[in-house]
Amino acid sequence: MLVAIVPSQAGDRVHEGLLALYDFRLAKGEMVKDRSGAGQPLDLKIENPKNVRRSEGGLEIRGQTLVRSVKPASKISNAVKRSAAITLEAWVQPDNKKQEGPARIVTISGNSINRNITLGQEEDRYDARFRTTETSNNGLPSLASKPGSLNLKLTHVVFTRNTAGHAKIYLNGKLNSSRSIGGRTARWDPTYRLGLGNELSKGRPWLGTYNLVAVYGRELGADEVRKNFEAGLDGESVQVELAANQRTAKEKFFDEEIVPILSRHCLECHDTATRKGKLDLSKKAKAFALSNGDKAIIPGKSAESLVWEVVESDDMPDEREPLTSAEKQLLRKWIDDGAVWTTDEIDPLAHTFDRRATENWVRRLTVSEYIRSVKSVVGVDIEKEARELLPSDIRADGFSNTAYNLKVDLKHIEAYATLAGLIVKKMDVQSFVDRYDKRLNTTDNSMRGFISNMGRDFLRGDLNSSEVAAFRGITTTVTSTGGTLEEGVGLMLEAMLQSPRFIYRVENQRGDGDFWPVSEYELATRMSFIIWGAAPDETLLELAESGDLFSPEVMNGQIDRMLADPRTVKRSIEFANEWLNLDRLANMSPNAKRFPGWSRELALDMKAESLAFFEEVIWRQNRPLADLMNAKVTFATPRLAKHYGLEPAKGKGLARYDLSNVLERGGLLTQGSVLTIGGDEASMVTRGLFVLHDLLRSGVKDPPPCVDTTPVLTKPGLTQRSIAEDRVANKSCGGCHGKFEPLAYGLEMFDGIGAFHRKDEHGNNLREDGEILFPGTAKPVPYKTSAELMNLLSGSDRVNQCLTWKVAQFALGRPLGQPDALALDKIHQESQKGGGTYASVIRAIVKSDLVQKTQTESDNEE
Amino acid sequence: MLKGLGGITVGLPLLEEMAFSAVSTTAKDVPVRAFNVFFGLGIPAPLQKEGYDGVLEPLKPLRDKLLIMRNVDQVRCDVSGINAHFDGATGSFTAMPAGGEAKAGGPSIDQVVRQAHYPDGLPPGMVPTLIGGTYFRRSRVGRYLHSYKLDGTVAGTMQEKPRDLFDRVFGVVNAGTDGDARKQRLKRSVLDSVVDQYKFYTGANSPLGSASKTRVAEHLERIREYELRAFEMKHRNSEGPKLPPRSKVLHGGQADPGGQGIDITLEELTTEWHLMADLYALSVQMDRVRFGSITFLAAGERIRLVGDYEYDGRKIFEFNDPKQLNASGDQGCSHEWWHKFSEKKKNEQLRAHAHMKMREVAYFLNRLDSDKEANGKSILENSMITISTESGDGRHNDSKRELSGVFHAITGANSRFKTGEIMDVGAEGLDVYNTMVAAMGVKHQLGPAKRERRHVSSILT
Repeated sequence: MLVAIVPSQAGDRVHEGLLALYDFRLAKGEMVKDRSGAGQPLDLKIENPKNVRRSEGGLEIRGQTLVRSVKPASKISNAVKRSAAITLEAWVQPDNKKQEGPARIVTISGNSINRNITLGQEEDRYDARFRTTETSNNGLPSLASKPGSLNLKLTHVVFTRNTAGHAKIYLNGKLNSSRSIGGRTARWDPTYRLGLGNELSKGRPWLGTYNLVAVYGRELGADEVRKNFEAGLDGESVQVELAANQRTAKEKFFDEEIVPILSRHCLECHDTATRKGKLDLSKKAKAFALSNGDKAIIPGKSAESLVWEVVESDDMPDEREPLTSAEKQLLRKWIDDGAVWTTDEIDPLAHTFDRRATENWVRRLTVSEYIRSVKSVVGVDIEKEARELLPSDIRADGFSNTAYNLKVDLKHIEAYATLAGLIVKKMDVQSFVDRYDKRLNTTDNSMRGFISNMGRDFLRGDLNSSEVAAFRGITTTVTSTGGTLEEGVGLMLEAMLQSPRFIYRVENQRGDGDFWPVSEYELATRMSFIIWGAAPDETLLELAESGDLFSPEVMNGQIDRMLADPRTVKRSIEFANEWLNLDRLANMSPNAKRFPGWSRELALDMKAESLAFFEEVIWRQNRPLADLMNAKVTFATPRLAKHYGLEPAKGKGLARYDLSNVLERGGLLTQGSVLTIGGDEASMVTRGLFVLHDLLRSGVKDPPPCVDTTPVLTKPGLTQRSIAEDRVANKSCGGCHGKFEPLAYGLEMFDGIGAFHRKDEHGNNLREDGEILFPGTAKPVPYKTSAELMNLLSGSDRVNQCLTWKVAQFALGRPLGQPDALALDKIHQESQKGGGTYASVIRAIVKSDLVQKTQTESDNEE
Repeated sequence: MLKGLGGITVGLPLLEEMAFSAVSTTAKDVPVRAFNVFFGLGIPAPLQKEGYDGVLEPLKPLRDKLLIMRNVDQVRCDVSGINAHFDGATGSFTAMPAGGEAKAGGPSIDQVVRQAHYPDGLPPGMVPTLIGGTYFRRSRVGRYLHSYKLDGTVAGTMQEKPRDLFDRVFGVVNAGTDGDARKQRLKRSVLDSVVDQYKFYTGANSPLGSASKTRVAEHLERIREYELRAFEMKHRNSEGPKLPPRSKVLHGGQADPGGQGIDITLEELTTEWHLMADLYALSVQMDRVRFGSITFLAAGERIRLVGDYEYDGRKIFEFNDPKQLNASGDQGCSHEWWHKFSEKKKNEQLRAHAHMKMREVAYFLNRLDSDKEANGKSILENSMITISTESGDGRHNDSKRELSGVFHAITGANSRFKTGEIMDVGAEGLDVYNTMVAAMGVKHQLGPAKRERRHVSSILT
């Protein structure tokens, strides 16, 4: 009925940044559905349904009522708090021109004096209140449309406010009024609900008809406002918008349900390299068709899709366990729902374990992070004592900062308490106090002010009143026992050092189940721990406090500043040490008879070599991470140089060696630290799997049934290479071994402890030629020498991508899975634009959604 | 209650408080207890068929108190593309595929029983879950740690040195107050404020999600334990504490040099294990511990064992893995006998190793069988003790076969389960475990919610 009286000249509505959308499509019932498809729906419930009249596409308020959200409008409030920008759009038809208060048309508020935003009617004007640090809690002063601009016709009303503070009201696609509403949105309250037709606490009713209400987390430009006006209330244009947003649910289904099924059951034979039956299910471009033109997957039609046919009948997977009935149903649903596909290429390794993005563990500081944070906040070096007292962090999924495994035991508690005492003993408490308040005394006001200011720095964010009271309690206890102010502050610091807000990185994880922007302090803390592995410094905290850190320019500036800090280099070296698991070197004990030259000192030299090499390539030469594969330089002690067959330099310590003329060495894979992973036998299986897993981010399945997995030893006439080639040629083994053993062919001349030989211990000639099959490609690339292999690896985008993932995993402190894939692709592309350096990867990570947003858990509030 | 610990007698510390803090075991109702006993590398299914005449011989003296379960299928625990030992080991006692290198796909059975019977925590002074063991391979946590919480994360810290385990159970915490009453008051004031903060983050207004809240709640639990030991247990036994002797075997990273294995004599291995087993058993006897797990050699363990192996006065075998395998490094480790297993061969070396493992498992079980409780039965008989391993075949060439027929034995759990039998249960591990925990009065069921379950009533009395 409405389409006839509003324009409908253009097609689609704007959907970028949409947070909530109500099209009032339901003609019955008490609920108004949020159809934005953005995050968790913010549905509304109608109180007093007898006072409304519903029709398809309209909700008429005829008497006192309130249509309010069933849970807080936190998805809107948090987004606006972060962006400081909003668009509130409504198609409405007022009942009369006498309504005032203003009468609430759309509001996100707590009561009549506390609100985030309200669009209302003040007789013959529209009125918008917007809370900032420069307006009142009631959002005053407000912005009103021109006198007499409100009439009783169906009207398109839009209020926008941008980050710079420009606020505008548009009526029927045209700018009607504007003014500056300055200030930040830091005080937006995420607990407020969204209401239509009245204030949340009632008493400000509005009568009239709604046909559409939409909220965006950004300012729509004049063109966009006009576009939405011109799109009118055309059901089709709204449907297009809905479809665009709801696609995310199907993408999620693909990422979380279908990709794991394809990875576990199909890709062993149907990846790009193997393509059994000429079917490649790893890539979007190829998965839907067989090379003979037949359709493998027909979106929307499982019954006609070959993939479904063979899976349903258990003809596939061939010689492997069939899919369970639940998996089959998921696959069928996916095809019937349109077979939405998100990623360019499926990475089977990302699905080894069931990793859904919903697990969000609070992160305990690792031992290193604890040490650096103590140094950062009080300037005390507690490394020696902390390493002795705190239990080591256990490595899990490739790194020892994996959040789910950062648990605590009694020893931790004892250590934290003991260390807190030791740290305070090492401090000059009075000087520390003077930094905040040179005239601090034990009176309540003085002490509370000090606790608030100091606590913000210590605990990475503002303290609430009960926290201030708790810490204040310690100082009063000290005073009551005759103690000094210094003693009181010292004990209070001990308490802060044991606080969950110091030992953990506490963040808000409650919400509506969707991804929310992180808060200012959370962002400062994330940036600091990712880049430095330490608590944020004063500059970051101040920028967080002012909200300026949210400004892209400010954030970029801070990332630059932090990357230039020596702490970043230390943190990156910690990454390299963890990634390559270099601490294992100190524990290695190769067979003494076979390797008489081995010693613990040599092992430590190898570790030092790789770390110095990393620092040289990444920081001194500022080269891309991939150059770690082939940079012709290294560092060695005389002992290690001799082991490598290099002429030892003068002196006892590490010396830099130019390897331009040393053909066999250059790059991490030619260093003892990495070569030793193959054990005494210099296993091609182990070395090849290292390259496959840790450089090419790929994997293989378990051996198929009934092959002999007993390792074969070398002997005269039988080299590691020939043994490996037999396995690769074997029908049962070659499918998988062909994917990883040739990756190690180029390393055969390096023995189990990384020494270079042209013949093995049996006098067999060794080789270094081979071919490498990059995951996702069908054709192997040959190489003649070890150096050529290193160049191929260095030039591979796959290797580059893998290094990005590794840095990201360490930065985030959790294993990565398919739900992260899209964000990681973006990070990778961004970092490559920046040269593919460690700094560019870190920069892209910090700016990505993986850092800027957090996965929340639903409060399930009604 | 002084016990011989690996041949060394120790005086017990904190005797007064322990006796006070522990819930009385003199009550007629014996406490609910559940422990997992893991041994590495498994017993190939065909050898299990030989019953007590084969490698299971050392369990024979305990046969009336055990139910040997054959043909238990753990195939669902396979994680494709991941080391088979790790898969099976993380699946032992959980029956689910791993969720990460240090994360199971679900809880272990000891923990679901603990959670059901002590939802608010164990009585003060008790260690909620004690995890210990003698093992060397440690590339992935799942290889050696066998108690997992409901969320699949580890249920405690692995105590790998006897002294560490001793400290965890009986140790005194030094709060640094030197007995000064004022200092103590102030330190308690600090701790009180810390406790309040942790309480807030576990409470209704906490900003944390459920997984994080659980983590902080654990932290709070440990603070309370610290508080108890630091400020409330003051009366040391004048005879003690006397720490157990220092461990003489390798620990930490040195115990697993890049997966290449270590040289060790049988005497070194068993001396360490006996001390660990004695201390663990003592902790149970003292009612300081009711739940947890103990490991004798990790999944896919890599040791080059040397030494004469005797049982019941007769020489069974002379271990000399590197010589018999004619190899060094990982390929000279006893692990290789499992790769070489063949039903057509004698498998002499594998048999000797497996037999020795059963002897050592029996050693631990016997320690729990020494004293009678109020109901006239031993702790061994009253507890739910599950003995298992990572595989039923070590050849890594058929994950289905490898994870079928995984050895299991259980104790009677105070007459809940049949004992004195060797039974072909022919069931999935998940169904066996669910039947067991249900018999322990636990409603929580392991595994996928929608899965059709099978009650394995044959194991029940």
